Amino acid sequence: MTAEPVAVDVVVVGAGPAGSCAATALARRGHSVILLERGPFAGSKNMYGGVVYPRILDQLHPNWWEEVPIQRWITRRSTMVLTDSQAMTVDFRSQHWADPPYNGATAYRPDFDHWLAQKAEADGVQVVTSTTAVGLLRDEAGRIVGVRTDRPDGDLRASVVIACDGVNSFLAKEAGLFREHQTAADNYTVGVKETIALPRDVIEQRFGVRGREGVDIEILGGTGGVNGGGFVYTNLDTLGVGVVLKLPALAAQQQRPEEIIADLKAHPAIAPLVEGGEVVEYSAHLIPEAGRSMMPTLTTDGMLVAGDAASMCLAAGIWLEGVNFAMASGMYAGEATADALAAGDTSAPGLAGYERRLGDTFVLRDHDKLHRAPGLVLSDRVQHQYPQMIANVVERVFRVDNPQPKPGLRRIVREERKRAGIGIRDLARDAWTGLRSFG
Amino acid sequence: MTDHGTPSHRIVVCWKWVDLEGDARRAGVSAADEAALETALAMTASLDAPTAEVVVVTLGPPETDPVLRRALAAGAHRVVRIDASVDLPSDRVAAALAEAMNDELGGVDIVVCGDYSPDRGSGSVPAFLAAELGAAQALGLIQLTVDGRVDASGAPVVRALRRLDGGRREQLTVTTPAVLSVEGSVATLRRATLAAELAAKQATIDVVPGPRHAEQHADSIRPFRPRTRVVPAPEGQSALDRVRALTAAGATSAHGETVTLDPPDAAARIVSALHEWGYLES
Repeated sequence: MTAEPVAVDVVVVGAGPAGSCAATALARRGHSVILLERGPFAGSKNMYGGVVYPRILDQLHPNWWEEVPIQRWITRRSTMVLTDSQAMTVDFRSQHWADPPYNGATAYRPDFDHWLAQKAEADGVQVVTSTTAVGLLRDEAGRIVGVRTDRPDGDLRASVVIACDGVNSFLAKEAGLFREHQTAADNYTVGVKETIALPRDVIEQRFGVRGREGVDIEILGGTGGVNGGGFVYTNLDTLGVGVVLKLPALAAQQQRPEEIIADLKAHPAIAPLVEGGEVVEYSAHLIPEAGRSMMPTLTTDGMLVAGDAASMCLAAGIWLEGVNFAMASGMYAGEATADALAAGDTSAPGLAGYERRLGDTFVLRDHDKLHRAPGLVLSDRVQHQYPQMIANVVERVFRVDNPQPKPGLRRIVREERKRAGIGIRDLARDAWTGLRSFG
Repeated sequence: MTDHGTPSHRIVVCWKWVDLEGDARRAGVSAADEAALETALAMTASLDAPTAEVVVVTLGPPETDPVLRRALAAGAHRVVRIDASVDLPSDRVAAALAEAMNDELGGVDIVVCGDYSPDRGSGSVPAFLAAELGAAQALGLIQLTVDGRVDASGAPVVRALRRLDGGRREQLTVTTPAVLSVEGSVATLRRATLAAELAAKQATIDVVPGPRHAEQHADSIRPFRPRTRVVPAPEGQSALDRVRALTAAGATSAHGETVTLDPPDAAARIVSALHEWGYLES
C-alpha cells in the first residue's frame, strides 16, 4: 500500500546558500518548509573554492560575522597576468576589509553551508538530508505540485517548489525553463581546485598577512592556452589553487585539468607560494559562466529557480561572485513565495514578485549591466593576446637597455600590439565593450 | 522516560558510534552495525508478532543523536543513548550497555551487534557484553533467522549461519540469552520512507547517564592496525637462504590440530593454545 504523500507549503530543493536563505525567509513568514539535501549534511557535496561576499546576510542574519565559519577575511586582492615566463601583478590591500562588516572571505563551503542550513533549521525549517529530488510532481493540468524523491513513498507535495539544485539543474530543465542554447557547453566552465596544506605561519609569511587576514589572487593566463583563468586563495592552513577552464576549449585542446594545475603551480610566480605544501583534496565542478544570457525563465506555475540553478553566477573578470547572488536570489524567492501564498496565487503571475525583486536589486541589475563581460573576458584576445602584449610592454618599459636610450611608451605599445597580432579596430571594439560593461 | 509498554519479543541492537575525523557530521557506525539493525528488523518481521520491537542502544555524546534518528527512521521502535564519552575501553562500554539493558529494558534475550566498528574493528565489545549478561555469544555470522518457534523461556529460537575458514559454514541453534555479531555483508539497511525520516526528527531519544570519565584517554582514534612483530634477522649464506628462512618457504608446514570438545573445554583449550604460542602472557 502506498502511503499518502507528505505535504508542506513549500519544498526547497538543495541546501546550498540559495536554498537555505529561501527556506529561512519562508519559515520566518510562518510557512511549513522542507529543505531537501542530497548529501549527508548541507555543504557535504560542495566543491567550491572561492571568495564569499556575505553582506547580503545583513538582511537575514544581522551581525552574521560574529558566528559565520569563514577561513580568512580578504584584505589583499591581487590580479595577476601570466605568460609562460612573465608575471605582472596589480596588488591592492585595505585594512578596512579586516574589520566588520568586512568585504569578502575565504570559506570551506561544507562549514559555511552547514551553518546557513542550521540557521534555517533554527527558524523552523525541516532539513531532510541524504535525499535527492529525482523529478517534479504535476497535477492533471500539468501544474507543478511537488517533487518526487529517491526515498520509498518519497513523493512530497507542496504549493510551491523552489529549485536551488545547483548548476545543471535537472528540475529547471524538466520544467522546461531553459532554452536549448542556454545549456550549450559553451556557456560553462569547469573549475578545478587543489587544496594544499601548509602551516599557518608559512602562509602568513608568504602572503604577507596576519591573524585572520587573507589574500585572493585572480590570474589571467596560466591555463595552458585553454580559455579561462587561475586562482590562489588563502585559507587558515591551506591554499586553494586552481583553474577555471572553458569546456569546449578544454575538450579541443585534449588537455587534462590536473596537468594544467601542475603547470600553474610550477610557474615561477606561483611555485614559491605553494612550495612544500601537501595536496589534501582535489575537486572539480561546473560553473555557469555566461551570465544573463544563460539564465532560464525564473518562474512557472508552482515553481521558482534560484542560485546556480538559475545561472546566477557573475564571472565578469574583475568581479567573480556567486554565493552572494545565490543567497540573495534564494532570499527573494522565499519572500516572493510567501507573498504569493498569502495572496493564494502560486501561478507564474502570482510568483512574479520574485523577478521584480531581482530586477530592483543587484542580482539582475549587475547581470544586466555586465552581460557583455563574460564574453569579453573569455574571448581569445583577452585570454591570449592581451596578456602577452601587456607583459611585453611592461618588460620593455622596465628593461634598461643601455647604451640604448629609453624608448617612448607609445612606440612600445604600438610595436607590442602589432607583435601580438591585435588590430587597432579589435582593440577599439574591446575597449568600447569594456567601457560599456565596467564603466 | 517514555512508556513503551511490554513487547512480546524484543531484539536489542548495539551500535558503536565512531568519529574518526573529529567532525561529528562525518561520524557514524559501521556497515556491520547497519547490517545488525537490518537483520533484527527482518527477524522481528518474521516473528509475525505485532508487539515485537527492535531497540537500538548506543553509547556516546549528543552528537550521536542523528545516527540514532536514522535508526528510528529505518524502523527501530526505540533508541537509547547512554550519555558517555566514546573513549571508554571495551569492557566499560560493555558494562554500561549491559546495565542499560537490565535497568532500562528489564533484561534482554537477543542482542545483535555488528562484527566490527570503524575504529578498532576487533569486535571485542560483543564478547565483553556477553560476559556481562551471562549470555552465549556467536560471531562472524552471515545469517540469522527465526521461524516463529519459541524456547522454554518464551524467547524466539534463532538459527544462525557462521562463516568458517576454507569456505566452510557452521549452522547454530542459538540458546538465549545470546549476543550475536553479524558481518557487514549480510544485509543493507533499508532506506527510510520520507514520512519516517520526518517523524524520526521529532521522536524521543531515551538518554540514560553513563560512566562519566574514561580511565584512559585516547589521544587519537584511527582504524585498527595489528602491531608490528619483531622478527630476528634470518640466518643463511645467500639472500635466497635468508628469504627461505624468513618465509619458511619450502619447509613442511605443521598442520592444524582438530579437536572436538564441549564449548567450555574448547574455550579453555583455545586459551591454553594462545598461551603456548605466545599470544597471551601468563
